Amino acid sequence: MKTKMLTCLILLFAFGFGLFVFADSHEKEEEMNKLVFPKAYKSTTVKDGGKISGVVKFEGEVPEKKKLEITKDPKVCGVTDKFDESLVVGDGMALKNTIVYLMDISQGKDFDKDAKVEIDQKDCRFDPHVQIIPVGTVLTMLNNDKATHNVHIFGTKKNNTEINIQQTKNRKKMRLTRFKSKNAEGPVEVKCDIHGWMKAWVAYVPHPYFAVTNEKGEFTLEDVPAGTYKLGYWHEACGTNNKEPVTVTVTAGGEVKQDFTLKLKK
Amino acid sequence: MRTKNVVHLVLILGLLSVLNLTYAQDTPEVSEEGKEVYEESCAHCHGIEGRGDGSAAENLLPRPRDFTRGLYKIRSTESGQLPTDQDLFDIITIGMPGSSMPGWETSLSANDRWEVVAYIKTFYDGFKESETPPRQISLEGKIPYSEDSVEIGKVLYTQFACFECHGNLGRGDGTSAPTLQDEWGFKSWPANLTQSWNYRGGNGIDDIYKRFIGGIAGSAMPMFEDPAFGLTIEQSKRYNELDSKVEMTESEEEEYNQLDEKMGNAYEILDLMADGDATEEQKQIYDTAMKAFNVKSWHLANYVKSLSPEKQPEPAIGKNVLRSQYTINELPEIADAAWETLESSYFPLVGQIIVEPRQFNPTIDSVNVKSFYNDTEVVFLFTWDDRTHNTEVEEDEDTGTTFEDAIAIQFPVKVPKGPTAEKPYFLWGGRKAVYLWQWKASDADKVTELTAKGINNAEAQEVQGDIQAKSEYTDGQYKLWVKRALKTDDKKDLQLESGVFVPIAFSAWDGANGDVDTKRVISSWYSFVLEPVPSSRRFIYPPLVALLSFGLLVGLRQFVRQRNT
Ligand code: HEC
Ligand code: HEC
Repeated sequence: MKTKMLTCLILLFAFGFGLFVFADSHEKEEEMNKLVFPKAYKSTTVKDGGKISGVVKFEGEVPEKKKLEITKDPKVCGVTDKFDESLVVGDGMALKNTIVYLMDISQGKDFDKDAKVEIDQKDCRFDPHVQIIPVGTVLTMLNNDKATHNVHIFGTKKNNTEINIQQTKNRKKMRLTRFKSKNAEGPVEVKCDIHGWMKAWVAYVPHPYFAVTNEKGEFTLEDVPAGTYKLGYWHEACGTNNKEPVTVTVTAGGEVKQDFTLKLKK
Repeated sequence: MRTKNVVHLVLILGLLSVLNLTYAQDTPEVSEEGKEVYEESCAHCHGIEGRGDGSAAENLLPRPRDFTRGLYKIRSTESGQLPTDQDLFDIITIGMPGSSMPGWETSLSANDRWEVVAYIKTFYDGFKESETPPRQISLEGKIPYSEDSVEIGKVLYTQFACFECHGNLGRGDGTSAPTLQDEWGFKSWPANLTQSWNYRGGNGIDDIYKRFIGGIAGSAMPMFEDPAFGLTIEQSKRYNELDSKVEMTESEEEEYNQLDEKMGNAYEILDLMADGDATEEQKQIYDTAMKAFNVKSWHLANYVKSLSPEKQPEPAIGKNVLRSQYTINELPEIADAAWETLESSYFPLVGQIIVEPRQFNPTIDSVNVKSFYNDTEVVFLFTWDDRTHNTEVEEDEDTGTTFEDAIAIQFPVKVPKGPTAEKPYFLWGGRKAVYLWQWKASDADKVTELTAKGINNAEAQEVQGDIQAKSEYTDGQYKLWVKRALKTDDKKDLQLESGVFVPIAFSAWDGANGDVDTKRVISSWYSFVLEPVPSSRRFIYPPLVALLSFGLLVGLRQFVRQRNT
């Protein structure tokens, strides 16, 4: 009798567990392609912080550069050749546009209030391709083209700030004031639907320890308070290291080198 | 040892269940009723968990909405805001024309509809978290519909750049149309603004206004702010004029720069206002500019309204049946003005869903037809809207495979005797064969005669009769002109006779929508008639005229003779 009840109980729990796993699997999958943020972050003055720097490289066969087909406004958009920017590999396999960041920092410096949070639309291309946006900061869109664009930033579950607003050729500067992000999230896609090839990414972040690699694949995180942190990366085509982040230990005033080698996401 | 294991297991599972419980408690209490209604009526499309992944979802485009993202197209609220409960209630009541979302007015009680509104809101936490009600779009300053307003709106349609997606004449054929996608990465077509009965959110002027002021969330359609902020309507017009000039004189250049500066200034103030940093003077400039924007927007809404007939045309049956008009003149060519004198008959088309592969998401709404005939020939003008001009099979990484556009016009081989006599099966015949004219975009000035005994059993006739065809594609619309003799020597052809009702049906293919073979849009049988000329006109008048002129001639001769003698 007792054992029977026990089995019943086990079965019941197992069932509940199954439901739990089922309900969550979708979200888990999505989470793997997103950035990881600390539960809370407090800004203080950082004295004698350390530095984390390194180079991100690509490993594997570099696909041929894909030239984008300019299907619209050739006079404006066709003046320069444009290439797919989902994987930009430079000299020595340097990987551009990788976000490298601290996943679990809970205290550190404040955002640089003067930093420009801008994306330019020039020759029908977004520049930069990856833009970091402090939570609550307004993104400014520039339009240096004699063409009409629409700025379409995809919605996120937490923010509900799907942004999709027309920016005609007369409007050289547009601050997206009505769309302040509420929560850290991302990266999310940015698109111009009018010129379907125009794509970029933004990430809404809660602390300033985020860097995007340059042409040489380099990144630097400065003024990091001494301590041990998880160092994460995100790349559009190569994915994240959310499953096995790298642990780095920063000493006061010291510098840590950490390179990464990324492969295409499966 | 074993019991210990079991105890451990139970403990672990228990713990997880507790987790599970707290997880479940996160969602607010929902009415059992709403859940029940949802699971019975909505879940097979929208999914049990509201992810838009119900069992029927895969074949549908647009996809049933994924409610977990909080993105709603049809809102009375500003861009980036959630819809009101009333918005949700209304859309559930009315449904979304042009998509598979049905209206529930007759099948669910109002109470059930309110319950299900509450239930679908639980799929997105944003509803729970938002402390303030969503900001609604103000409908102040509405300008009554008038020809003048439409005229002004037309200019603004260009300045707001609606044509980029919707095309010059609004048929959804803008140059950006082929690459548009929705938020979930599925193909999305800009609305054909000349067919407002397919609007998701109603075709009232207020509805149109709300759609472009607030944007259509989850789709490519953005929200709009004034594209010439700070300029009056006259100034915006002037700016556009100057902007499109290849070369400007010095004074024009100066004027242009002034307007440009005025605009730049106004946009800056717009940003300052949002940050609350504007001075009194700037506030005044802002107010004036906003008023002008409001006026422009209503003119634009009136213009968009003017692009469509008020209602979907009545299908070509009963008093609207297609009547070919008799003329003693030459039959008109494709571009002749004579066509303007006829009303067209409207043949609605639907996706073919009987035979695999099926078309669940048609993009061609209808074919419009006009016709003339004379004593020996008949001519038809077929017109249909298609957003893209596809003349061949193309593979594209982003847009997938596209095919060639086409249309086929179907008749029986022999006209059934009387209205109740059996017609061939409407899907390209069966036991009884059908006679077809097939036209393909790759061979734009030719139709091929087919005989078919089933949708997959059609053959080009060995003897191709003397059929003339011409076609045109402009601004998202095909025109196909076909002329044939009333009578032919070919037994496989349809023979035409005035006054006899002849069955007619259509198949059409939009290659960009993946239409090929049986995947197409179709109509069932309709009919047309060569409108008999009232006998008095056709049979009395000509002989009468002949007689009279003969009489006159005779009289004249007599008269001449008499004078000569
Ligand atoms: C046959 C499939 C189907 C069924 C059944 C169905 N829907 Fe939908 N629904 C859709 C599709 C498809 C869309 C998206 C249409 C679009 O995006 O243009 C949609 C969209 C919606 C929207 C979004 C409206 C907006 O403004 O964006 C709501 C709300 C909705 N459905 C509620 C319901 C409810 C409630 C039920 C059940 C009572 C239901 N639907 C049943 C197919 C369905
Ligand atoms: C970037 C492309 C784009 C531009 C620019 C654009 N639209 Fe749209 N529009 C769309 C798409 C896509 C849809 C279909 C939305 C959907 O999925 O239901 C649409 C739908 C509509 C509808 C139908 C709404 C309904 O209830 O179904 C109207 C009306 C409309 N647009 C008006 C306008 C006007 C007016 C402008 C200019 C001020 C404009 N659009 C500019 C892409 C665009």
